[in-house]
Amino acid sequence: MVAASSSDTAFPRAGGAVTSILKKPSVIPGFGLTLGFTLTYLGLIVLLPLAALVVKAGGLGWFGFWNAVFTPRVWAAFQVSFGLSLVGAAINAVFGFVVAWVLVRYSFPGKRLVDALVDLPFALPTAVAGIALSALYAPNGWVGKPLNELFGFKVAFTPIGIAIALTFVGLPFVVRTVQPILQDLPPEEEEAAVSLGATRGQTFWRVVFPAVLPALVTGFALSFARGVGEYGSVIFIAGNMPGLTEILPLLIVIKLEQYDYAGAAAVGTAMLLVSFVMLLILNILQHWMRSRHAR
Amino acid sequence: MAIQVSGITKRFGAYKALDAVDLEVRSGELLALLGPSGSGKTTLLRIMAGLESPDSGSLQLNGEEALGLKPRDRQVGFVFQHYALFRHMTVFDNVAFGLNVRPRGQRFGSAEIKRRVTELLELVQLGHFADRYPAQLSGGQRQRVALARALAIEPKVLLLDEPFGALDAKVRKELRRWLRKLHDDIHITSVFVTHDQEEALELADRVVVMSQGRIEQIGSPADVYDHPSSAFVYEFLGQVNRFDCTVENGVAQIGNGALSIATDHAVRGAAIAYVRPHDLGVSPAVGGPGRVSGIHVVGPDARVEIELAGLSLEAEMDRERLTALGIATGDRCAVHIDRARVFAR
Repeated sequence: MVAASSSDTAFPRAGGAVTSILKKPSVIPGFGLTLGFTLTYLGLIVLLPLAALVVKAGGLGWFGFWNAVFTPRVWAAFQVSFGLSLVGAAINAVFGFVVAWVLVRYSFPGKRLVDALVDLPFALPTAVAGIALSALYAPNGWVGKPLNELFGFKVAFTPIGIAIALTFVGLPFVVRTVQPILQDLPPEEEEAAVSLGATRGQTFWRVVFPAVLPALVTGFALSFARGVGEYGSVIFIAGNMPGLTEILPLLIVIKLEQYDYAGAAAVGTAMLLVSFVMLLILNILQHWMRSRHAR
Repeated sequence: MAIQVSGITKRFGAYKALDAVDLEVRSGELLALLGPSGSGKTTLLRIMAGLESPDSGSLQLNGEEALGLKPRDRQVGFVFQHYALFRHMTVFDNVAFGLNVRPRGQRFGSAEIKRRVTELLELVQLGHFADRYPAQLSGGQRQRVALARALAIEPKVLLLDEPFGALDAKVRKELRRWLRKLHDDIHITSVFVTHDQEEALELADRVVVMSQGRIEQIGSPADVYDHPSSAFVYEFLGQVNRFDCTVENGVAQIGNGALSIATDHAVRGAAIAYVRPHDLGVSPAVGGPGRVSGIHVVGPDARVEIELAGLSLEAEMDRERLTALGIATGDRCAVHIDRARVFAR
């Protein structure tokens, strides 16, 4: 609200270069008010805590920051967190697309139930999911035991376990972003492709997939971002061996427990920076894809 | 290529979209499937294209049974009402699509594809738009791209589903003329669906009037307009005055004898008489039986509404005629009928 009133009073209403950028004539009222509200809200809810984080980390100085972040243990955790989040998001991009496809294109008994099931990872407390997953995949669990005994394949307390947990929490993001786009895809485009001689495969890869790709990238990005920040569902199944299966959020918690607040903030800041750059790249990619056919 | 449709029936649940339809499309002609919505015309077109399969009946393309063939093996070009262009492809890639998806052995080289697409874009007068995306084109341009795309696969038959339905009136008329000219140039067997009788009558070599899954009449535009075979066809093709009447000794009495029409048809008893507005003459007459209740001038034409013995009639004439008659709203007038059709009830 502060920003709203200030933008109203700071610039005269009578036009001029500055106001014309901020206030284009529009039939939709309340531009100043809503923009001000949006900025204030984002400032308070998003930017303020992040700024506090950066400021706290800044207390270390460049040298201290460097020393806190560039240790083998932190570097390994970076690789685990970002690498496995990418793996989880990639798995979700493929299978989330399949789930969305099935939910949109076919009708079968229990479809609504399956549709509702997709949202469960959203709603379930992540710690519950983590405990359930580790109970299942532990060497003596229902799935973990046969896997271990028959194939000598360990899931829990390895990076594979982390990837499974991250896939679990990220699935709804892909399904829920792709689903509405698939729903709105006009069947005529596919019929046109078929009548022009395209096979089913060609119709999918040349017509359906490119139309859905921007949404798929959004879902991928959301799933990835969720994975990077995920804590509860991972720590139980990860085993948390430093340098091997230790994720960044856990490392931050460990630093906090050791009263190393600045160190925790430094890791957090580095994480923030990498996440921001990656999401920015995904957004630019997506903007480029959209602008190709929405001009 | 000729198309032979025999006994095609199609149900959607309890609804019968097509009821044992027989139709022959002659090689090289431009045929219109005309009917109100729900008459089955689009379903019939989609069955020809293989986008829908009938419950029973047979379909022959050039004398060969085609129902077992997939759409892509039928060599049929299909144009959709809402263009159905591929949004993420340029105009060029849209038109080239059918050539690019051919099996490897039959595919042209990229130079040949470029030559063909360029030629087609010139044909539809969109040579400069090759690099645009569909969203950057107007409706009329998009439909021409859709047409070029359908023609690219060198189809034996061109099927068009309400091709002008989504366009505004002026563009629709232009594109209609243009399509007629294109057809005169390339003589591809074409079938188009429309609910607009003017479009069908102006564009087609032959018109097929459909209603409720059946064919009402097949004939040349002049034929179906001048000699409608049923009350439905008469009513559907253009404006009409409809009267309940009784026919005795070859004379139809309308409105308890307020109007009488001589009929040369073997109709007796209760019947329905149809009079086109331009076959209804009006003349000013003091103390006449009719009263002018409204006059609407639309461009060069004038529509005159008349009340007569509790009936409301509509007459149509050009504006000069209206001025010459010198009638105004509220005047008394006499009505005479130049031509009418009477169908038994």
